[in-house]
Amino acid sequence: MTEPSYAGPVSASALLQQPPPARDFDVLVVGAGPAGSAAALAAARAGCSVALLERGPYPGSKNVYGGVVYGRILDELVPQWWEEMPVERWVTRRSTMVMTADQALTVDFRSQRWGTAPYNGATAHRSDLDGWLAGHAVAAGAVLVPATVATGLLRTTAGTVVGVRTDRPDGDLTAKVVIACDGVNSFLAKEAGLHPRQDNARHLTLGVKETLALPREVIEQRFGLTGRDGQDIEILGCTRGIPGGGFLYTNLESVSLGVVVGLPGLAAAKVRPEELLADLKAHPAIAPLVRGGRQVEYAAHLIPEGGYDHLPELAGDGLLVAGDAAGMCLAAGIWLEGVNFAIGAGMYAGRAAAAAIGAGDTSQAGLAGYRRALERSFVLADHRKLRKVPGLVLSERMQRQYPGLICDLAEGLFEVDNPRPKPGVWRLLRTAVRRHDISPRRLLADAITGMRAFG
Amino acid sequence: MAEQPLVVAALSPADPLGGADQAALEHTLRLAEALGGRSLAVTVGPAGAEEVLRQALACGVQRVLRIDGPAAADSDTTARALVAGLGLVPDLLLCGDRSSGRGTGATPAFLAARLGAAQALGLTELLLREGELTAVRRIDGRRREQLTVPLPAVCSVERGSARLRRAALPALLAARTAEIQVATVALPEPRQPVRLGPARPYRPRPLVLPAPVGTDPLARIRALTETDRPRTAARVITPAGPEAAVDELLGYLREHGYLAHLTREDDQC
Amino acid sequence: MTGQPGEDYREISFDDRMEGTEFRVSERAHITVDTEVCDSCTVRSCLHVCPAKLFVPRADGGILFNFEQCFECGACYQVCDAEGAITWTYPDGGLGVVFRKG
Repeated sequence: MTEPSYAGPVSASALLQQPPPARDFDVLVVGAGPAGSAAALAAARAGCSVALLERGPYPGSKNVYGGVVYGRILDELVPQWWEEMPVERWVTRRSTMVMTADQALTVDFRSQRWGTAPYNGATAHRSDLDGWLAGHAVAAGAVLVPATVATGLLRTTAGTVVGVRTDRPDGDLTAKVVIACDGVNSFLAKEAGLHPRQDNARHLTLGVKETLALPREVIEQRFGLTGRDGQDIEILGCTRGIPGGGFLYTNLESVSLGVVVGLPGLAAAKVRPEELLADLKAHPAIAPLVRGGRQVEYAAHLIPEGGYDHLPELAGDGLLVAGDAAGMCLAAGIWLEGVNFAIGAGMYAGRAAAAAIGAGDTSQAGLAGYRRALERSFVLADHRKLRKVPGLVLSERMQRQYPGLICDLAEGLFEVDNPRPKPGVWRLLRTAVRRHDISPRRLLADAITGMRAFG
Repeated sequence: MAEQPLVVAALSPADPLGGADQAALEHTLRLAEALGGRSLAVTVGPAGAEEVLRQALACGVQRVLRIDGPAAADSDTTARALVAGLGLVPDLLLCGDRSSGRGTGATPAFLAARLGAAQALGLTELLLREGELTAVRRIDGRRREQLTVPLPAVCSVERGSARLRRAALPALLAARTAEIQVATVALPEPRQPVRLGPARPYRPRPLVLPAPVGTDPLARIRALTETDRPRTAARVITPAGPEAAVDELLGYLREHGYLAHLTREDDQC
Repeated sequence: MTGQPGEDYREISFDDRMEGTEFRVSERAHITVDTEVCDSCTVRSCLHVCPAKLFVPRADGGILFNFEQCFECGACYQVCDAEGAITWTYPDGGLGVVFRKG
């Protein structure tokens, strides 16, 4: 090694004149998050020798999410996963809240079926969850190498990826296939030229989250829960019109309160993220739920919310990309998912890598089975189906006008304004539309777009 | 000193390595290089303790040895096990100044005594200067003192006294599957440790008052609660000096029975 | 907004907010900022988007930057309009932020 190099937006590949005669591993997975561990697990199960690199001291130490994971995809990898996954609470109450500064309308659904096997959503801490899944990869034979940063790709002069360079002394590792699960910043995928557009910031949101400790009984009382049942509240209209939303999730003895906002919108509004969080925490609909919570951790992370239309190339010669590195977070209004997409993508990437190695062709064409498998599965089918939703949800009208419209409608409906007779719903709608300066034509158009997008 | 001096890192078996143990390991590697000697990492514990030895191997120690024994023994037992397992007096033995958790830092002292070696404990710096082992430790008043340590010696170092080097990738991978040498030693029956009971809040001794005088219960209660006693205004005195004030106070306390158990002589001191 | 409980919350200092998060600080600054570029920058998005508040305006109009308590999110280099003001890298393996909850 000559100059020390570091992983960053300008990290460069080390070029090898000759492909290395022998490889250290069949498959090299960068990043032991859900995508990486699923990829390592699938590849190791398929008989490959696998190394799993993690830049943090332990899996999950660099990772943040809202707090809810949907484990159904794990049925394929870890049967009966619910008996061993480190879960805080099983989500049995799913609420969507639309708010203005002094109003809030909540649609609250509860199903006790989600509180028993085979379960649906769960709250969990990432340090527990990621470590658990990485443990499965290790048990399947993968070699976990923590506290090690992949600083760049090793490529032949023809451009084929043959390994990575790490920041350890003598840190080059070679492999037949590299699976980049290196997260939202994915310097490896960018270095390989898989992200064509450079306007990435437009499709990024910033999430900030407080973990607030509260006694278990207090959480049960405030959220109407028993045992390991939990609540998931998604919030729209809490971001001062900046495209985004908020969330409040219950863990066993803490709650996760967070705000997610578009990066360009945040910069343009000249508002700091913790101010939005403070607003939300002081809102009359939220304050009584989180009062007295002792902050145990403050965290932040970027989220790729570009959706199907902004996915990078998913394969190169000797290289696959999965998880946040491939922009696979689904932020589609009522659905906010990411970890399940990461696990699914990682699993298909691991299998595709193993299949390509078995067939002796790890070129981009040889790895094309990955994209095909994703398109057939929920991973890209959901993204494809909901490709118009992110734009709609983050639109100006959805963020600035519709929360007020909805809340005013509800207020008009439930307010008893005697001696005046009750207004009809149409009159209420007309008044609210006028008050919020909404074009009825746009409202109708958005309604139709919404129907089509979610259809 | 032998042809090839032996530098030993005695690590506590807790995984991951604590800060002080990391510093001890780094000093071991540096001093083995400086002395042109061999390095050895050793720990006392069950099979699970091998993880810290693999970390030591990855960082570059030449040999590792696990001495089979309980992970959490008292300092003297740990020292006995180490001495028996090593089977020789190393030129230099390094420890963290205390293991993470509730370490007392007594193991290195026991080790030095049993090995008959010099000891220098709680060091913030340790290096070889002109062929002599030089160390620095904290003393009162934020001062530091410099020590010159003869060999053989047992030294313990503070966390942060050296930053552990990063393991090279090939060594890290090789250490995962390396064979770990195990020594079994005969240890005396562990002595019964002092057992701790539950902690109680501080409770002052009860004030003993003379039994109230009175013929009927009501009078006795009145006497006890002093409800009958006429209230007197506070007495303001202006003593001549500190000594007069002390006499006044003691006199008052004695008069009200608070100093009954003290003699006059006690007053003097 | 009426919430009385929110008001005492707002008094939480930023330092208190960061207190629960663990950082294993590296000797190497993993992010460096060419503050000469910043001096001529009018947008200054970094001041608002950095969730760890590492970019602080200086009295003389410049920008002061600290790398120590960084979440390593990448928001700053993503919004930095001035070409090359921020040199951004991950900290060395095992160092930097360590999330216990995430």
